[in-house]
Amino acid sequence: MSNNAISEIVKLKRKLYVELLKLVKSGDLTAEISNLSKKMITKDTARYRCCEFKERAIFEERIKAVLGFNIAENSKKSLEELAASLPRWQKKKRIVEVIGKACDSCPIDKYLVTDACRNCVAHKCVNSCPVKAIVVIQNKAYIDQDKCVECGKCAQACSYNAILENERPCSRACELDAISSDSNRQAKIDQKKCVSCGSCIAACPFGAITAISDLIEVALNLFAEKNNLAVMLAPSFLGQFGHQQSAAKVNYALKKVGFRLVREVAAGAEITAAAEAEELEEKIEFNKTLLSSCCPAFKKMVENEFEELSALISKTDSPMSVTAAEIKSKNPELKTVFVGPCTAKKAEALKDKNVDYVLNFAEMLALFTASNINLAQINEEEELNDAGQLGRQFAYAGGLQQSLKELTASDFKCRQLDGLGRLKKELYLIRANKHDYNFLEGMACSGGCVGGPFSIINQNLAKKLVKEFAESF
Amino acid sequence: MSKNILKICIGTPCHLMGAANLLESVEKFDCKLRQKIELKTSHCIDNCCDQAPVAEFNGKVYQNLNPEKLYKIIRENIK
Repeated sequence: MSNNAISEIVKLKRKLYVELLKLVKSGDLTAEISNLSKKMITKDTARYRCCEFKERAIFEERIKAVLGFNIAENSKKSLEELAASLPRWQKKKRIVEVIGKACDSCPIDKYLVTDACRNCVAHKCVNSCPVKAIVVIQNKAYIDQDKCVECGKCAQACSYNAILENERPCSRACELDAISSDSNRQAKIDQKKCVSCGSCIAACPFGAITAISDLIEVALNLFAEKNNLAVMLAPSFLGQFGHQQSAAKVNYALKKVGFRLVREVAAGAEITAAAEAEELEEKIEFNKTLLSSCCPAFKKMVENEFEELSALISKTDSPMSVTAAEIKSKNPELKTVFVGPCTAKKAEALKDKNVDYVLNFAEMLALFTASNINLAQINEEEELNDAGQLGRQFAYAGGLQQSLKELTASDFKCRQLDGLGRLKKELYLIRANKHDYNFLEGMACSGGCVGGPFSIINQNLAKKLVKEFAESF
Repeated sequence: MSKNILKICIGTPCHLMGAANLLESVEKFDCKLRQKIELKTSHCIDNCCDQAPVAEFNGKVYQNLNPEKLYKIIRENIK
């Protein structure tokens, strides 16, 4: 995932964050929340749906997700009712969810004949089809969708490129085939396969898939000035808070907005790396393989689809988990907030008693915006030096592997792969014992965490900044 | 030859709404166009944060931008 161009739908979501936060700040959340959709979507705002009423209905579902409620379970409850019930104490059921009303029910048929078909004499499409699914009706080729096996040969054969491959963006983005469609042709997520990687959220042009957020709960704590929050910054945070905003500036600004403690997750990553290196020494001795455990989406995929390989996953806790445990052991009264580019961390946090909330970078920036804090206008800094290179380089693909090489005395072969599709193929090889290495570093997002679905800046730039920061220690 | 001055706001509200995209897109302009532009960053332009992201080109302020709009503005107003 390297697509961080900001579409209208992303802007709308981020504006919503800011507006909701302003309501929390002024204490009017419950009183004003039911007017928000009317205020933000008027007859004159740009419209993408049939009418402003449908747009508002969808918008209200989005608000529920930002408030932190699963949409399907709370469809009958009003926004007021939900806002009044905050803060909620039970954890969410799942992270990635389809907003039914927003899903446009894109066509399911994978191959379609377009008007460019000229009913030529050669009929290469008819000839190329291995299952005889193509016939010519009314001067145009026609694909019988009951017979079609979606092999794509007709599309390749056509001299006019008249046959279109037309896969839904959400299911194309999902490398684990977790998205199908229900009887209304709306997208449906198979929670047994979903690893909450967030690819579909970024891919849907209608913004119909969303992650259930912790933003408002964090804000309720923050703006009540309880002074009880600790931020854990993902190693990939460099550059995400604005052009040329240094780590030290981000640290200062976070404290200014009201967070009591700021920790680099890279500090936890150093501990993770050391523990993982020990595990690895053991595996090398018996010539076995170790799978990395720091990417929760990769770990979940192994557990879901390769049960017999799940014993190979490192037993070491993830950097987020280690960092949170450390904070809680020293300051049990604090609540921990992980900030990163990741949706899978939100799912991981549901099972981790030490991680209370997970935000993405945009949500944190919205917090700054709603608090009228502009990082570019701040000159003060406060040094941030929780971790060295071994932890900080976890942010990009290959970093973990590099750290382990430095920490492990014995020689070993390792492999690094990013992207769930590629990793899945590799796991088939491991299952068949057709591999020759002792360590596999798996990252679900291409490029590693810097390429996460909620990364704000270009991943090459992000990687460069992380490297500079890591080497500066 | 007088240079054309492009100021892009990098304040937090503008960053949230895609200032990084604008900066990135300017670096991807073709050489000839890029040479004519002097790129500066600003902490806040005109206090119009609710219309983010904002940029100023040759003294005129443009709001609610995206890379495509910015490119068109530059093409049409370049000296």
